Amino acid sequence: MKAVAQLWLLPSRQMPLLGVVAHLAWLTALACLIGITPRAEGASIGAGVLAMGSWFWHLGLASTLRGACQPESFLLPAFRRHLAVFGLVDATIWVGLPVVVALAFGVPHALLGGTLLLLAAAMGFAMGVERWISLLFWPLLVLAGWMPGLMVAIVHDALASPMTLPLLLLVAALLLRLALHPMLRINDRPPDTSPLEGLSLGRGATSDNVPRRSALGRRFEGWFDAIAQQSMERALARYRERPGTRRRRVLLRRLLLPHDNPVAIALRVAIMALFATLYVVVALHRQHFNATVVGAYAVLIALARFPQVGRGMQRMRPNLADLYLTMAPGTRSQYQQALADALLVLVPIGTLTALAYTALGIVLIRAAQPGLMLLVTLIVATGGGLVSLAVHLIGPQGAVGRQVVNAVVLMGTVAMYWAGVWAVDTLGHVAGGGLLALVVLGFGLGVWFAAQREYLRRDPCFDAPLS
Amino acid sequence: MATLLPFPAPPASTARPAPVLRVQGLRKAFERREVLCGVDWEVPTGRVIGLLGRNGAGKTTLLRCLLGLAPVDGGTIELFGEPMAEPGGERLHRVGFVPQSFELFPWMKAGAYLDFTAAFYARWNHALAGRLLREWQLDPTQKIGRLSQGQRQKLAIVRAIAPEPDLLVLDEPVASLDPQARRAFMGELLALMDAPGKTVIFSTHITADLERADADIALLRDGRIQFTRPLAELKSRLSRAILSRPAGWTAPPAIAGVLKSRVAGASVHLLLEDVPAERLHQLAKDEDASLRIDMPTLEDLFVELA
Repeated sequence: MKAVAQLWLLPSRQMPLLGVVAHLAWLTALACLIGITPRAEGASIGAGVLAMGSWFWHLGLASTLRGACQPESFLLPAFRRHLAVFGLVDATIWVGLPVVVALAFGVPHALLGGTLLLLAAAMGFAMGVERWISLLFWPLLVLAGWMPGLMVAIVHDALASPMTLPLLLLVAALLLRLALHPMLRINDRPPDTSPLEGLSLGRGATSDNVPRRSALGRRFEGWFDAIAQQSMERALARYRERPGTRRRRVLLRRLLLPHDNPVAIALRVAIMALFATLYVVVALHRQHFNATVVGAYAVLIALARFPQVGRGMQRMRPNLADLYLTMAPGTRSQYQQALADALLVLVPIGTLTALAYTALGIVLIRAAQPGLMLLVTLIVATGGGLVSLAVHLIGPQGAVGRQVVNAVVLMGTVAMYWAGVWAVDTLGHVAGGGLLALVVLGFGLGVWFAAQREYLRRDPCFDAPLS
Repeated sequence: MATLLPFPAPPASTARPAPVLRVQGLRKAFERREVLCGVDWEVPTGRVIGLLGRNGAGKTTLLRCLLGLAPVDGGTIELFGEPMAEPGGERLHRVGFVPQSFELFPWMKAGAYLDFTAAFYARWNHALAGRLLREWQLDPTQKIGRLSQGQRQKLAIVRAIAPEPDLLVLDEPVASLDPQARRAFMGELLALMDAPGKTVIFSTHITADLERADADIALLRDGRIQFTRPLAELKSRLSRAILSRPAGWTAPPAIAGVLKSRVAGASVHLLLEDVPAERLHQLAKDEDASLRIDMPTLEDLFVELA
């Protein structure tokens, strides 16, 4: 049992906060079940808390086990058997025990509730391992959105049907099978992408916590890699044809940011647009959305790219020494300047991406003031991009510090978006837009130039980062 | 490329222990690039095997395939007499592995990682693990992600040695170690080998370590194991001769037992197998050349044969 106990400790060691919160939720749920009367009410509150806690716990558990299930781990004696025993213990804690307590107190639908808890745990776990599994639930969302009456009727009939329980168990088993099969399979490790690139469409994931890529994801990755290769070859050919500062900078960008060439950006926006359209039109059945929220969200998605720059520049440090020697700059600050110039392209890319997403949002929600939204997005995304790039270029090196800084920038950007919408709406496009541009772009440029000056002042660092 | 002649088979009366590892026709390709092209290999029990090969020869791939850590495209692998389709079974208690780079659990403390690993093993030498942590100055309270590459390598070695495995597989274990740590590691390895029935397979480019361990040398080239021979036997049977004459050489002289020949100016360098010195002196006389015979080091042999 020592090995099982060690496996149980694993997620809490990696994510102590999650361990504490999830187990507090478990205790709270049991307390609700035991302490609140009438029992049915206590049970329903407890089940909700337990389902939420279980979802998050199993999402985190999946993330930890995904990292642990590397080929080397399978050399641990009876690793799979210990995992299976741990799974049983986990199911007993999160499902079995609450169900036994509920049955002991005579709570109605205890078995159905237990099965739903198992399903919640299986869903959390499966989504933590394989991101695409969330797509399996889209048909339910579609049904609920397009035919809510039919959905209610199905749920009503299901509650009375003896087949519901085994069917839910079957779905839970299927989800676990889908998650566990690839996790427990030993495969060759795919080559790494550039540390500055996160190929997820949200562009915010780090390489060590990205769920396994599905077949579709790998195909997208293949496309992006092919485009990056072509783009690099074109940049090389142009540079050889007529070497110059500008073409050298493009070459450097193709090296550092292989997936930020025009074709790849267009492809990324197109894929994102396709999924967003499907999600809004089919799954959410074009519910009413606040236009400002949609615009702010579009800007946030575009800015999600920048934290990867901070993380990636850190991870690339040892390799950047090679780049330094290749570039043979006259001074260290010239080298720093070259890097800063190369990365600055991310700001217009971020702005264009935010504008594209905003335009899509305008079409999908039939926004009443498209001009206002586009104007505010243009200004706020540019200012936010400048600030974000600046802070991630010279900001804290630690993961926590970076997350705090990023959260502050994102909250500031959202606040500016709301303020910008209000200003333009109240003062008009010229006066409001001018005021917004003056404040946001002034601040953004100020922060960027200050950060750039600080970056140039610093010596380049080529030490391997401590993970 | 040079190919060694097959050595005479050992006498039938010699009792040979069952091999710890038997590989037949092992094939492995990465995106149609074949790295292992039908490897046949037997590793006897109780020996240190030094796996040599040039960069990209497939040493890491071979070692990972042997332990079931990479899917294979064909062939069979038997570990401790049982097929090794994937890692599993009681025999894993008898296997230790040090990967080329240690990437697991960067968020975990070194001590907690060893506790985690120890929980899976029936046998775990806590005293040995504790001593190595102290002697190798590894702080058990430090997170793995904050250890240097060399420190991670040391931790991986501690983790592999502590269960006192019967088969220890090491993939370039000393590549990131300083000379002191390398010596200490070799000392531990030799101490481990003192116990009966222990086998070590390790890939390295530091041939001096293999000489110190008196290892059997296995050469991986062109996707196959070209030979596995005791180092002493290699050294006793292989020699290098340099023939020089003012007129130079248009072609190397013909003589049986030449593995490799190279003309350089007025000299011709010959790598020879089982060629007596008298025959070389006769050859020098016939060719009107001066002769120098020397014993190649393992590094010389690696350069010539790999």
